[in-house]
Amino acid sequence: MFDLLVEYISTQRIRLDRDRIKKKAVYHDPCNYGRKSEALFGHGYFHEPRWILNQCLEHWTDMQPNRARQYCCGGGGGLMLTPYEEQRKYYSRRKIEQIKNSRAELVVVPCHSCHGHIRAMLDAQGPASIEVKYLWEVVAEALVMD
Amino acid sequence: MNSTEVLSHTDLSGPGGGGNPAQICLGCGTCASACPMTGIEGFDPRRIVRLGQLGRFEELGESSLAWLCTMCGRCQEGCPMDVRITDMIREARDLGGEKTVPQAIGKGIEMFMETGNNLGLPDEDFGFIVEDVAEELTEEPGFEDFVLPVDKEDARLLFTLHNKLVNTQNEDLKHWWKILHAAGESWTLPGSRWEGVNWGFFSGQDQVLKAGVDTIVGNMERLRSRGLMYPE
Ligand code: SF4
Ligand code: SF4
Repeated sequence: MFDLLVEYISTQRIRLDRDRIKKKAVYHDPCNYGRKSEALFGHGYFHEPRWILNQCLEHWTDMQPNRARQYCCGGGGGLMLTPYEEQRKYYSRRKIEQIKNSRAELVVVPCHSCHGHIRAMLDAQGPASIEVKYLWEVVAEALVMD
Repeated sequence: MNSTEVLSHTDLSGPGGGGNPAQICLGCGTCASACPMTGIEGFDPRRIVRLGQLGRFEELGESSLAWLCTMCGRCQEGCPMDVRITDMIREARDLGGEKTVPQAIGKGIEMFMETGNNLGLPDEDFGFIVEDVAEELTEEPGFEDFVLPVDKEDARLLFTLHNKLVNTQNEDLKHWWKILHAAGESWTLPGSRWEGVNWGFFSGQDQVLKAGVDTIVGNMERLRSRGLMYPE
């Protein structure tokens, strides 16, 4: 997915306008594409999504800590679908703190689980005004069509 | 992976080794500090490791420990002894048996095995939903000539779908479609067995995992797709 987007952008099969999204964004590394991919396959997708974001918008930042040390959103491993709702919220407090500390108004994620979970946690315990978007959603919004 | 393989990954041969992964655990607590779940209801990755050390995988699978873990891997990222905690969890979930699998996941798996998707959505309804969204997309500037390539043969890429996109979040189908259209990509969406979410990962059941992979490979063979795009 990252490779395909990088291919499209770097070979100019798609063109992007960096001025459309004005909100300050923050990027979240999903465990599976980052830390676990690095451990299992020898390559963690840390650089690619950040490069893609650079092509799509002007202002974005990283959470602390990030990349391989990133905190899980709390929705992983199917926890989102278990009855342990309170525990899940407790777990995600770290993610919410990271997001708040970044002062971003938009969280960008390249994962369906993280998207659903972070959205739910922001609604439940964080500033619900913070938006959550897929990485490919950000790309689609920046698309220049002619 | 079966339990023997999990065990052998960090096998210690020789006296005192015993072949249990946790035998090499130092009890240092790095994993516990790294884990955001530590402290809640007595959760501690070291308890997982200890049960593994004692070979009590089944008991682990039946306890809440196995299901509170998100398998995020943060614990083992820092572990000085490379103890594979998430592998143990997955194995334990499987050994805990079907009754310990949370209902929502169990139900989804049942549906998947029966119908090919976790929602149990009939192909006809699926077709109706995606065509409807595709038609909506043609009303947006730049996408007037968008045609949804369902079951197109010999495409470069076959796309799977996350079931929530045909459930409650139909609007989110459009992002990738827009990008693919703009790039002039040769791609296809299977009209049947399109599910990309494999809950066998979570439940620890390898036969479910395999059924999910077989579904995708089957579609790729049927449609002679050259590549796979699996954004789930
Ligand atoms: S980090 Fe590794 S060695 Fe340390 S307590 Fe945890 S499992 Fe044991
Ligand atoms: S994989 Fe499980 S035990 Fe390890 S840090 Fe993540 S939630 Fe904690």
